[in-house]
Amino acid sequence: MDMVNKLEMLWHGSGVYNMTFGQFVMMVVCVGLLYLAIKKNFEPLLLVPIGFGGLLANIPEAGLAYSSVEQAIHMAKPEVLEALGQVLGVAASDPHALAEAYETSNAELHQAAVNTANDLGYSNGVLYSFYLAVIASGAGPLIIFMGVGAMTDFGPLLANPRTLFLGAAAQFGIFATVLGAVGLTSMGVMDFSLAQAAAIGIIGGADGPTSIYVASVLAPELLGAIAVASYSYMALVPLIQPPIMRALTTQKERQLQMSQLRHVGKTEKIVFPLVLLVLVAILLPDAAPLLGMFCFGNLMKECGVVDRLSDTAQNALINIVTIFLGLSVGSKLVADKFLQPETLGILSLGIVAFAIGTACGVLMAKLMNRFGSIPINPLIGSAGVSAVPMAARVSNKIGLEANPQNFLLMHAMGPNVAGVIGSAVAAGVMIKYVTAG
Amino acid sequence: MTQPDLMSEGINLMLFGMGFVFVFLTLLVVSTTVMSKVVGKFDSGEPEPAANRPVVSLNLGPAQDQKLISIITEAIKQHRGQK
Repeated sequence: MDMVNKLEMLWHGSGVYNMTFGQFVMMVVCVGLLYLAIKKNFEPLLLVPIGFGGLLANIPEAGLAYSSVEQAIHMAKPEVLEALGQVLGVAASDPHALAEAYETSNAELHQAAVNTANDLGYSNGVLYSFYLAVIASGAGPLIIFMGVGAMTDFGPLLANPRTLFLGAAAQFGIFATVLGAVGLTSMGVMDFSLAQAAAIGIIGGADGPTSIYVASVLAPELLGAIAVASYSYMALVPLIQPPIMRALTTQKERQLQMSQLRHVGKTEKIVFPLVLLVLVAILLPDAAPLLGMFCFGNLMKECGVVDRLSDTAQNALINIVTIFLGLSVGSKLVADKFLQPETLGILSLGIVAFAIGTACGVLMAKLMNRFGSIPINPLIGSAGVSAVPMAARVSNKIGLEANPQNFLLMHAMGPNVAGVIGSAVAAGVMIKYVTAG
Repeated sequence: MTQPDLMSEGINLMLFGMGFVFVFLTLLVVSTTVMSKVVGKFDSGEPEPAANRPVVSLNLGPAQDQKLISIITEAIKQHRGQK
């Protein structure tokens, strides 16, 4: 009899027994992400850690993605719930109400609840610790942005500064999507706040770290879906963009060759990040975290006297942070937070954002062609959505299809890095607008 | 916040945001162009090694090779002589 009891206990503690349907679905989704990353080469550097983090987060009872308080509530020992209920001022009988009160509590009560849970012997799951250190602190996306800065060559942009306008136009996708999200809410289809709508819109910026940064500031509860949408669509750029680019341009426009870019001196490249930083400081301090780190990384690369630091920023450091960032994003793929109707809304709005951004970039290039003296191939406009360097490669490929002598890669790098600056500026504006209003 | 309010907030955010992005990047275009001009004035004599390299490696016949080697040897001699 005793033996049977023990066996039953073991069975009740097993993963299979405790698996919920949602967790099962999420595991399938995560395996799907891993498949896309490994077999189809979709942004593998991020989707492998994200997919695996998601698997870990959904292991029943392991609670890797939960904070100490959430673990305590999940275990639901009466005396623990009682103690937490006292701290949070909610009746202890209902774990859901308790979890809700914990989520919405102010910093002081929040900390008190954490202390109570810690005293009772509960600790944070390891993925949750990663999340706190890398994303909740804001550090991860910013360190990645520094590395991206250290990898970015502003030469093509400096040779033809007007391509910055293409990077600006493509940001229209971001704001159109915000409008879309707000519109869906007004029609009663979805329920997004303005902050959430802004965080969803930034998917259209096609810039992973920027998306994660904005989501962590404005809508941490949507972070998993936003990050997954953002990276999946960046991987899908070669599929999403070409039909739009072909539809909006004529064969003749696609064949247009651009004049050779002028040589850009070293001094110009060193001074540019400083100019950018000064502009940010004067006009938009809210974009300073993102663009400040970006400029710092770029200055390290271009100044040429700190090669060791620049090398670390663009290789070792960015790789380390990518691992933890991916796992932390994966920790947000727990079933009860991800399997919501909102996720579908986010995924569909995200792809619309990409499409609109691409279209606006191309149209802007056509407009500039009409009024400017130097010819611009409209195909490079689509690179304004950022997604470095994928979008630039797409421009190059479509250009070569129309005219085998037409190498647009370097020309497209200009709007491409302009898009990075543009989406960081858009991110700063939205954070400013939403947190001030 | 009531629903129509949210919609107008969204439109405001779009106009404000898009306007700001354009103003910012326009200023960046202007300041970059000015910066390039200013910098160009100060170090116009900067060498452009990238442009020269492929020309040298392209027309390397054996005769030119000999000529090149003699030129390099001569240059090294002169350089050492200076010290």
